[in-house]
Amino acid sequence: MLMSENRVVITGVGLVTPIGTGTDVFWDSAVRGENGVRPLELFDPSEYRTKTGGEVRDFKAEDHLSEEDINRMGRSGQFAVAATRMALNDSALKVSEENGYRIGVSMGTTMGEPQILEKAVHIKYDSGSEQIPQNLPRQYPCASIPANIARVFKIKGPNIIIPTACAAGNYAIGYAFDQIQLNKADVMIAGGSDPFSGIAFTGFNRLLATTPDICRPFDLNRSGMAVSEGAGIVIIERLSHALARGASIYAEILGYGLGCDAYKMTIPDPTGSGGIIALKRAIKNSGIAPDEIDYISAHGTGTKENDKSETLIVKEVLGEKARTTPVSSIKSMIGHTMGAASAIEAAACALMIKNGVILPTINYSDPDPDCDLDYVPNRSRSTDLETVVSNAYAFAGNTSSLVLRKFKG
Amino acid sequence: MQSKRIVITDVGTISSLGTGFESLNEAMTRTPQKSTVKDYDFHQLENDIECYSIKDYDPVQILGKKGLRNKDFSTKILLGTIQTGFEEILSNTDEYNKPGISIGTAFGSIQSIGDFLSDSIISGVNSVNPQLFANTVINSPTGNANIRFNSKNLSSTIASGFNAGIDSLIYSYNYLRKNYIQNIIAGGLEEISYYALLGLLRSGMLSNSGDPRPFAADANGVIMGEACALFLMESEESARERGANIIAEIAGTASSFDPQTAQNGKSDGESGAFAIKTALEEAEIDADAIDFIASGANGNPKCDKFEAAAIKKVMDTKTPVTAYKMFTGECYGASGAMNVACALSDLKNKKISGKAKPYQTIDDIPLVFEPQYKESTYALVTSFSCEGNCSVVILKNVN
Repeated sequence: MLMSENRVVITGVGLVTPIGTGTDVFWDSAVRGENGVRPLELFDPSEYRTKTGGEVRDFKAEDHLSEEDINRMGRSGQFAVAATRMALNDSALKVSEENGYRIGVSMGTTMGEPQILEKAVHIKYDSGSEQIPQNLPRQYPCASIPANIARVFKIKGPNIIIPTACAAGNYAIGYAFDQIQLNKADVMIAGGSDPFSGIAFTGFNRLLATTPDICRPFDLNRSGMAVSEGAGIVIIERLSHALARGASIYAEILGYGLGCDAYKMTIPDPTGSGGIIALKRAIKNSGIAPDEIDYISAHGTGTKENDKSETLIVKEVLGEKARTTPVSSIKSMIGHTMGAASAIEAAACALMIKNGVILPTINYSDPDPDCDLDYVPNRSRSTDLETVVSNAYAFAGNTSSLVLRKFKG
Repeated sequence: MQSKRIVITDVGTISSLGTGFESLNEAMTRTPQKSTVKDYDFHQLENDIECYSIKDYDPVQILGKKGLRNKDFSTKILLGTIQTGFEEILSNTDEYNKPGISIGTAFGSIQSIGDFLSDSIISGVNSVNPQLFANTVINSPTGNANIRFNSKNLSSTIASGFNAGIDSLIYSYNYLRKNYIQNIIAGGLEEISYYALLGLLRSGMLSNSGDPRPFAADANGVIMGEACALFLMESEESARERGANIIAEIAGTASSFDPQTAQNGKSDGESGAFAIKTALEEAEIDADAIDFIASGANGNPKCDKFEAAAIKKVMDTKTPVTAYKMFTGECYGASGAMNVACALSDLKNKKISGKAKPYQTIDDIPLVFEPQYKESTYALVTSFSCEGNCSVVILKNVN
């Protein structure tokens, strides 16, 4: 067992998702198996083959941010700051002059603030580039997301964003974990954020990767992913620091592993090579054996290629134990929130460990011979969870696995 | 684990200073040459904007035709830099032991994203080329490099604005200290793009005199550059085992954030000073051991004032300060990495570079205007952004 100086725990969670803003709302909806993939309302899909997606409809920026802050940032930043506020409150962590340098921010995203660029390009074509508001360009670079978090909460420690597409949340949490273990910080605000992106919706439509209706991960009739939006933040903290201030602990982070398919930009390696590397490394770095894993939160996008490849990865690494290990995808409920996905899934894993409930894969009806594991179909399942893995993969071949464990003092 | 030493054993660059580290060494003895964006067919911009662009780089000559179709210029710069800088280690290792790749960028694929958007507006959303969608993710160049060079070990992209290039080195330094993998090709990448220039123009950050004057009391903005600078990073043990030439050690790193700079651009430099002090502590040296400071100053008055205040709080007032952006322009996500490459060049060539007609500096910063010839052991490389990021790397000359 590691000394408490090197152990890292999750002490707070903040969520903005298509099935609810706020941890309690999200959890209640997820346990019920609510479908957040619906006909789009905030984005006009009339020209597209697909007309559904995941939108965060209950998000009111003014509930979480000042008017000045709302005007200073795009929707991604607004999600991220709102989720951070929730997570800090949940963790009961106060940022002060004394601890500001020992708290950092590590975020992930796929496209940062795409709506800002979309707005600027539309203005350019409609009215000319000279009509682009002067304050708009500075809102675009994705560095503005962690910068806005640090600015609003006066956080002075390390500040980074890792835009490794749909695996970005895991990368950001992994980096935050290392920052604490290397004694660069005592607390890290880590997660991911992405708003609904017209670029992503257009691109995935043109690749025929989007489902025309609902998201059915691992099902024989799965028809693609659902473009979605959201943010997930976890407060991760040195165990000794958390214990000293009497923080409530969701779970311990044991470690993570990264890899790369190095195969194609838009298609996962059918042999799962990168995912196998990441999962094996996560297990090794966490000091556990494969048969200790009680549950896997799948990347599970609902595309033919991903779900088949991910099933292979789990079977290759877990061996016979794969047959009895529950694997589920909450993307069936919230869609694919891009760079926020694995951060939301990590937060969901922490909640599953704390509450002793596995969230389901909804919309599952017909088993696929190529996807022959226990996908926790349609209903959540009560069970004691000790060790949990969260997988996340991405465009460009990024692969990652994160290992969480029930906290034991 | 904490005491593991991380070294740089190879350098690759493509920039306005040429292709390769030797070209960079040679170019830093000459007066920098600017060009204008009209050379680039950025006809939508009304102004002829001066910049430091990459010239004389032919991707096909270095990479061949195969695999370049549908790749954007950022990707082609990155692939060319890796091909020319790290061919030996890439060709002598199997796919599971090739170096990982970690790339910093500020704007990433903004040109590709903008073009994809424009195409969807002009041609309609159902007519855009789906093959070009892959270029729109910010990690696209890095992923393309992993695919081209068949590296499965690591694919990371860092996008912390001006600081991305240096933060990529810090990321890799930490990753190697955790012993996750053996070696990483790390650095920064940025292309001059219509959308980046348009953004700088609209936000009033470009110099209206076309003259980059880092730390100048009367500076009026930046001149954009483009570059890719990469380093092979590994543990000292790994380098010695394989008989690699050690160019320098990364003796210390640190990063911090200044909320005040982010809020209103008014900073007392305390957060930047904290990053410098923390890096010095990690390197286990005092401030007076630093032979020169490779600053990130670029001619943006707010940024430069912030950096000057941080330097003044910690460093000896006589320690020479360079601003390599006199030579390269503001290369954004590549600039921190370019500063490291230029500092390595100066360490190697026993000099501290500068190339400008002297002018009055903010807080009397002792800026180097003409080359100073001296042997140095420690260089402090700083990168402080207008968004509040403060990143510091200390290089130690081990030769």
